[in-house]
Amino acid sequence: MSYNQRETPILAELCTFLVEDVYGELAARVYSVLARHGRQTLAAIARASYLNGRQIKYGLVILLQQHVIFHSGNDALVTYYEIDWQSSYALVRLGKVAKLVDDRFGSKAADVISHLLTFGHTRIADFKEAYFPADVASDDDSNDDIVNGTGLKRKRANGTHVNETSAKTNGIVNGVPSELEDVKPDPSSLTNGAHAANGISKSAKTNGNAHEIYMDGAVDLGDGLEKEDTAFASVDELYDVLQLLIQRGWVRTVTESQYLSPGDMHDKMQQETIDQEFSGSAPTGTKDKEKMHRAILQKKRHMRDQWLEVPRFSRKRSAETASQNGPNKRIKVNGVQHQPTAGAALPEDDLVIRVNPEKIAVAMRTEQLVQLVEQRLGSVTAHIYQIMLRMLENNTPRCYENLSEPPVAGEAANDIHLEPQLLVDARAIAKKLPRDFDVCEGLDPNAVVSITRRGHVRSSNVLSQPVDPNRIGMDHRTELVDKHIRLLAEDPLHFATWHSRAGFSQWHIEFDEIAKQLIQAEVENTIFARKGALGVKLIRALRKKGKLDERATCNAMMMSANDIRGIVNDLTVQGFVQTQEIPKVERREAKHSLHLVWYDRQRAREKLLHDTYKGMVRILQRIAFEREKIQPLLSKAERSDVIGNEEKWLSKGELDALQKWKEVQEKLLLQLFREDDLVATLRDFHGPLISV
Amino acid sequence: MAAPVAPSMVPKEEDATAQGPSNEIVSPADALYDKCAQRSQGTVFFQRDLSNMQVAETMAELTVLLQELCDRHLMKLMTLEGEPCWKLRSRSDADKLRRLTPDERLLYHHIDQVQAEGIWSKALRARTNVTQQVLTKCLKSLESKDLVQSVMSVKFPNRKMYLLKHLKPSEDIAGGPWQSDGDFDTALIDAISSAIAQHIENETCIKVPGNWNDYGQHDMAAEIAHKKAQVQGVQDIEDAPAVKPYQPPRDPSTSKLVHKNSPQYPTATSVATWLNSKEVLRGKTCREDDMEQLLEMMVLDGRLEKISGTNYRTVLSATDKTVYNGFVDAPCGNCPVFDLCSDEGEISARTCVYFGQWLETQSEEV
Ligand code: SF4
Repeated sequence: MSYNQRETPILAELCTFLVEDVYGELAARVYSVLARHGRQTLAAIARASYLNGRQIKYGLVILLQQHVIFHSGNDALVTYYEIDWQSSYALVRLGKVAKLVDDRFGSKAADVISHLLTFGHTRIADFKEAYFPADVASDDDSNDDIVNGTGLKRKRANGTHVNETSAKTNGIVNGVPSELEDVKPDPSSLTNGAHAANGISKSAKTNGNAHEIYMDGAVDLGDGLEKEDTAFASVDELYDVLQLLIQRGWVRTVTESQYLSPGDMHDKMQQETIDQEFSGSAPTGTKDKEKMHRAILQKKRHMRDQWLEVPRFSRKRSAETASQNGPNKRIKVNGVQHQPTAGAALPEDDLVIRVNPEKIAVAMRTEQLVQLVEQRLGSVTAHIYQIMLRMLENNTPRCYENLSEPPVAGEAANDIHLEPQLLVDARAIAKKLPRDFDVCEGLDPNAVVSITRRGHVRSSNVLSQPVDPNRIGMDHRTELVDKHIRLLAEDPLHFATWHSRAGFSQWHIEFDEIAKQLIQAEVENTIFARKGALGVKLIRALRKKGKLDERATCNAMMMSANDIRGIVNDLTVQGFVQTQEIPKVERREAKHSLHLVWYDRQRAREKLLHDTYKGMVRILQRIAFEREKIQPLLSKAERSDVIGNEEKWLSKGELDALQKWKEVQEKLLLQLFREDDLVATLRDFHGPLISV
Repeated sequence: MAAPVAPSMVPKEEDATAQGPSNEIVSPADALYDKCAQRSQGTVFFQRDLSNMQVAETMAELTVLLQELCDRHLMKLMTLEGEPCWKLRSRSDADKLRRLTPDERLLYHHIDQVQAEGIWSKALRARTNVTQQVLTKCLKSLESKDLVQSVMSVKFPNRKMYLLKHLKPSEDIAGGPWQSDGDFDTALIDAISSAIAQHIENETCIKVPGNWNDYGQHDMAAEIAHKKAQVQGVQDIEDAPAVKPYQPPRDPSTSKLVHKNSPQYPTATSVATWLNSKEVLRGKTCREDDMEQLLEMMVLDGRLEKISGTNYRTVLSATDKTVYNGFVDAPCGNCPVFDLCSDEGEISARTCVYFGQWLETQSEEV
């Protein structure tokens, strides 16, 4: 591996790019100081950059509001700032998140989420203000941005309302260290405008656009948000949506403790534990140390779970959305049933909320599993799986437990006790299927006949009496669904695991195991694309058998040594396969040594992740390069006299060039988002793998 | 035929070449040899067979003749079920043998004893007590004279096994039916695994024609409306599946494979039985272990998948796979200079020819 010390670590480079694209150059410059130097104080950042104190403070406020950096709190004498790599990276997912929410809760919820993503954490009252400004009656007709047709309200996003609010938000938001409080950012300083306000010379337009591009780009690539009206009919409806998103864990309330970096959090918890349980003096014995370790983990889990607690809402939600089931159901456009509290100030208005990043990973996992099932077992089974997964999603706060305690020695791994909310049964799924869903498709005709008990299967495998899915009773439908789930369960990847007979058949999903398989599948995909079937075969052989010498490798693959030497070499060079030479005689001679080859899945995973980050950086660089080439033309096209009159002011060649640029950008962004999917698989679905 | 048992007798050390065959008159010994040579190759002669040839007048004379032939390496003494017997060597082999040094002959003899099982060079040395140099030199010379061959043992991959040149190594050292000459027989493996893949597909999958469940009249108008709705992206507000149920073509001429409903999943045993009943292995039989090796290899190949400890089934893929993942489908994922590429300089995203081709745009010239 050519790891060059002088290079910036690739993730830092990638995140700095993303921050610059989304929040502009000022924020990016502050960010890059932190990226290069690590944890810093305000004064140290000032020394390491050419920015003045005021500029740095602006930058920090922006970064804090977006939760891309941590700070160490107000208690200590000096405040340290530190990057939150996970949420910095998450900037690339802005558009994806909107799409995921749209699929599940409809376009209004997606609109809310987009705003939350754009402005970082937001007070509920400010949300209300943004959507229902006190003075102006609903002036914003969502139909006027037909141009992009996405329903994400660009106008609002960049327009006055939200900026007003964000200014306010900043004032109120808790958690901004006191040393930054004197900074009252210019209303326009968030997102797009920061650098403009500070006179740093870089086209504001360029950066401002980038943000929208991440948002719109993704949306365009999906099915597109429906062009249904995203305007809320009433304040109540907005509250309903917010409440739903909080209940389902997509949005969480912001507390002071969320600003703490993992390290600070640990120190704090440790101190608390020592104070409370060890009467102030750090434990020394191994036993006590372990006890402390467990206590700290428990505290961390407790803290984390608190963040997700759903606050009590003072008003009742309309019955429609309050019902727990029906994640697929759109929120009814129906603001008529006014409840007494509609526009008045509510106690919860002071809550500050943000998007819960862990939930995003859960949803991405759902999407990827569904895709994989579609490829392996067909679309009908995939759809059923999608329903299963989305039902479980509501009760799945995160992909994996990263704070689990080591098992107590001597105590057998306690029986896997499954919470009922982690189970899903065939009947519940059958009920959720649309009536005309062709539930028989993808099954063995004999299985269908064995359930419907009508007619028989002809020798050509055609049903003598066809089954109209519209006329299947609920019992048969359940059994047919069960057949699909059995296909899922029987698959070598074990997409589902049988649990009990409740609801005809009740299942749970062993996400941990599946996540490992997903990682493996991506490593194999990569190798297949580069080296074809032979490379994959080698990896699989090594994975199954562990460390092998040449002879044993040949036997497993049933090929001669000559045919595999080349591929072993290639994959070693690419870092997917490790080799080892064990001397058998005292003088280390190649001839007398044992040459072993093996595959370390954690190393392969890290290598691929690292390379993918690098690939993403290259794409962002290429986008920047392509944009740079066309910049003069873009500036011209964005002149106010040209907008709307493109045909008149731009030549045919110029129009073509613009069109080409759009296509190029779209292609690159699509690839970027797909690389992000890969990152999610490799990084977010499973903790570190114990190798071999 | 019972396996020949090695003689307890070590060949006499007197030089056999001393009394070379006379060419003028065919000696009785040669006459005996010629008679024996008329029988089919590999025949084992007992004393009574040889006396029946009536070359020797008396038993004593026969013994002398046989001794002479043995000394000249034209015959080899063996025992079969406790009875002494003899086997012919070709004249050319005998000729070569006569030219051997004593050490070489000693080694040859031991190698001869083990027959098709072969003998490991270390074991050979232990039995013969020669030095390593002598051993190496003699074995080399024996090999170069085409008298013995060496084969890599399959069981002990780093052991070199020696056996006589004309013998076929036993399965223990040369491997099962999938190997020939110590190497995997790729053509055979390909042919057999294709046959097995088909067999397992028949057992575990079912081919379903497009019109298998031909319910309802096709409401053309409704279908068109549905299509239209899809194209326009207008979806039912109650139900907007992200994965749209795929409406399969009802065309009877199309078909697709689906997994059979609770089939008998094949195991190594059942497939081995099936294969042996087909008798395609030209005389060889496929043992369970051999079959397991082959099936496991097919799993590595992605043609089969294992669904429990011992059961196999066919891998189905509902879609054709031409995309892999976001990284490797982009130029950088498959780039030969990936590790050299940096943020700026001669190899960078700005100057990249691969991006240029992929996007059909101009890259910066360097
Ligand atoms: S930018 Fe071009 S040269 Fe650099 S790694 Fe990617 S494909 Fe290769």
